[in-house]
Amino acid sequence: MRILRLLSRTKLYWGLALIFLIGMVSSPVTSKGSNIFLSYGNLLDVLRQVSITGLIATGMTGVILTAGIDLSVGSLMAICSVVCAMLLTMPGWTASAVMAVPSFALVALIVAVALVRFAIHNFARGAAPEASPAKAIPHPKNHRVLTAMAGLLAAAAALAFTLPQVESRFGTWGVLLVTPCVGLLFGAINGIIIVAGRLQPFIVTLAMMVTALGIARLTAGQNNAVLPVYTGSNATADFDVLRSLVFGIFPVPGLFFIAAALVYGAVLRFTPFGRYVYAIGGNEEAARLSGINVGRVKIVTYAISGMLAGIAAVLFVAQYRQGKPDAGAGLELDAIAAVVIGGTSLMGGRGGLAGTFCGVLIFGLLSNILQLHNINSNLQLVLKGLIIIGTVLVQERNLGELLSNLRFGTPRSAPKEPAAHNGPPTESFSRQLGGSAHDTW
Amino acid sequence: MLSGADISKSFFGVPALRNVSFDLRAGEVHALMGENGAGKSTLMKIFSGVEPNYSGVIRNDGREVRFASVRDAEAAGVAIIHQELNLVPELNVAENIFLGREPLLAGLIVNRRRAVADARALLHRLGIDLDPETRIGTLRVGEQQLVEIAKALSASARILIMDEPTSALSPAECQRLFAIIRQLASAGVAIIYISHRIQEVMLLADRVTVLRDGRHVLTELIAALTEERIIAAMVGRESLGAVPESHGAAGRVFLSVRDLSLDVPTRRGWRKVLKGVSFDVHEGEIFGIGGLLGSGRTEILETIFGSSIGRRGGDIRLDGKLVSIASPRDARRLGLAMVTEDRKAKGLHLHATVRDNIALPSLRDLARFGLRSFAREARLADHEVRALGIRCTGIGQIAGTLSGGNQQKVVIAKWLATQPRVLLLDEPTRGIDVGAKQEIYELVRRLAGQGLAIVLVSSELPELLLLADRILVVSEGWQRGVLGRDAASEEAIMRLAAPQTRTDSAGAA
Repeated sequence: MRILRLLSRTKLYWGLALIFLIGMVSSPVTSKGSNIFLSYGNLLDVLRQVSITGLIATGMTGVILTAGIDLSVGSLMAICSVVCAMLLTMPGWTASAVMAVPSFALVALIVAVALVRFAIHNFARGAAPEASPAKAIPHPKNHRVLTAMAGLLAAAAALAFTLPQVESRFGTWGVLLVTPCVGLLFGAINGIIIVAGRLQPFIVTLAMMVTALGIARLTAGQNNAVLPVYTGSNATADFDVLRSLVFGIFPVPGLFFIAAALVYGAVLRFTPFGRYVYAIGGNEEAARLSGINVGRVKIVTYAISGMLAGIAAVLFVAQYRQGKPDAGAGLELDAIAAVVIGGTSLMGGRGGLAGTFCGVLIFGLLSNILQLHNINSNLQLVLKGLIIIGTVLVQERNLGELLSNLRFGTPRSAPKEPAAHNGPPTESFSRQLGGSAHDTW
Repeated sequence: MLSGADISKSFFGVPALRNVSFDLRAGEVHALMGENGAGKSTLMKIFSGVEPNYSGVIRNDGREVRFASVRDAEAAGVAIIHQELNLVPELNVAENIFLGREPLLAGLIVNRRRAVADARALLHRLGIDLDPETRIGTLRVGEQQLVEIAKALSASARILIMDEPTSALSPAECQRLFAIIRQLASAGVAIIYISHRIQEVMLLADRVTVLRDGRHVLTELIAALTEERIIAAMVGRESLGAVPESHGAAGRVFLSVRDLSLDVPTRRGWRKVLKGVSFDVHEGEIFGIGGLLGSGRTEILETIFGSSIGRRGGDIRLDGKLVSIASPRDARRLGLAMVTEDRKAKGLHLHATVRDNIALPSLRDLARFGLRSFAREARLADHEVRALGIRCTGIGQIAGTLSGGNQQKVVIAKWLATQPRVLLLDEPTRGIDVGAKQEIYELVRRLAGQGLAIVLVSSELPELLLLADRILVVSEGWQRGVLGRDAASEEAIMRLAAPQTRTDSAGAA
């Protein structure tokens, strides 16, 4: 039982190991006899290729954990790639600059206000004894002046940083900071509409997907659907950093992906906010009645999803040396597939970023293996589809259940304390036995 | 008629039923009783084909049978009505009754007229006064229950299993249900009746079977039994201890509610759900609210707590200070706590651990500089688990695997952990067994003794009478009166709770 459980709990990693093994064994060999799949260059390529999808999937994970979905990420990445490319190559107040500079200032303001309120909240309570009730907390309203000043100051600093760059052209730091803010605001708009309008996330983000694509095309202008970025000639040369290797060993995009997954993963695990994300996905009504600000948590998850799409867009521009309105076509579906392969339930409340990380790698390794074997790209799509279904089947049925099917012939898993309550115990137990490799709510 | 011998069933090596025998005669109402976890549900799942793997023998009219699926059981005339109703709210009564078995025209098109006519005839035969063309969603729970019965019988069931059918019904609706059950029994239908309410069983059943810990304890004619013996058989000990005496409304007024009102949006404008409800609750007082289902009891609590949907009106004062509560978040910050009626849908995260459930409303206070403190969360949960005597394998147990009573305690624990001053309890003992009920009663009394102002909503009158220092009775959203301890009796409450044509509001507290 215990071994079963351990196997169940870690099955994601087994899946990853399995696909790695398949790649290793089946890999073509160079004339010198070395394994191509295992070569350093090949593995780096995989990491580089999955980074963009990975960033998007990271943001998607948070959204899906709240039982939502974000279909707009592809289009948001498209907008951001256009914005990024234009900022890099065109001086003056282009449509992109008009969008990006105020966005950056607004985000700076919001972040500063949030940080100051957070600081006040914690310092006021730092000395309080452990079990003291909530009443000791001074209401943030008392510090309105302070927070307002901090916000305005941050916004002013943001403008001071960006305005000179508008006149010339944006530098690497400029686009890296400004572009994600555009994505973040679009994501936040998604969230606000979903929360305020009490609408289905599917519909709202679908509408955003279409709208954002339109905006991306309008921004890019009709004649130049593709905005080329030639570092060194029409854009700053050090933008190439984003497609290079750190210390010559590690691709920068991979670094962004890993950092994003680690940071967001830590947020989900170690902060109350993270727990609220799971709680909302698990039972939104119970979460609301527990005094959680459900609306705000949801808006933040969509905003983060949009922000990560923006970061992915900058990497896209660096990687492919262009920004274009159809940059992210179909990306949302790849991201959702990776999240689901990683064991996060579309019903929300179950799964996590460790799973998504594995899911993204599994997906990437798979593409790589198929490419190494020169398999027809259309056939690749078919195989990928089949593998998604296969993996999810294994994810949803937990291992114990699959094995018990083989061994005892019992068709479904059963509760541990069967009649302990009148509800549906079957689910809870199967989840307990390893419905997922990580957090469950 | 239907009998089972030596039925055993275990889940992953944990026995749920051990050699249980059960027999059912035509035309009898056979009550099946036992605490949660005693194995009632498992036994009924086996009889109705939900659970096809078991050892032992089931005979139907003397022939050995083995139901492999619900369909098999239905074909043999066994129908089960679950505690949670299985009706489609968007469809009408007739469509629900014939769902999956619609009468067809030319084998293709649903014959709606025939369905409605058949449904009307069936309802009439059962003495149920409902229009087959009303939408299920607009019916009250009691009426929906009757539709479930009609649905089961339309599939020509000879054996009807009812799992706690009265848990959501008003006394009047119960009476109506009992009349129909008796009528069915006299027509030869055998009924297995699962209930926690002993008075009900004494009134209705012909025979009683009691299970405890998966074992058969007794099967006896009701005439040969007393309430005490049934309780003793269920809990395995003699009658319940008395609830500690209340020390009465001692403290000053803490929660004060004036002119509470609630308007709920409907397609045709606003519907008044609450009007002019006013009362005071003292520190250390248990203030009861009674009334029929749909009278506005629950809405009073939800409106105070800021969780009701619609337009809220009225003044709420805490300790003399006027407060505005726009959301549960505000309520929590002001020291209010609410234990909801439906703990599975609104109170608990069933897939989360006991620890996560208990810590959830307090996470932000437990966190240090924005990071969760797992140690503090665990300490808090441990403390509450011990203080409330929650029986679990540890704070890491999944909440959904606890028994009903312990789940309820977890919900109470998560709110006590926020150190509230006011505790709003909505049906705190719904669907939990006798022993756990007793523990909840003691807990509520203890909390009142510690100075909490407690508002208790309950549809079980004995519970209200036992616990509450004063009882507010509502009917159709109006406040009908407040009964003190000496004036309160089941009759007095029922008299006030019955819907009236008068539309004035009775005096305030």
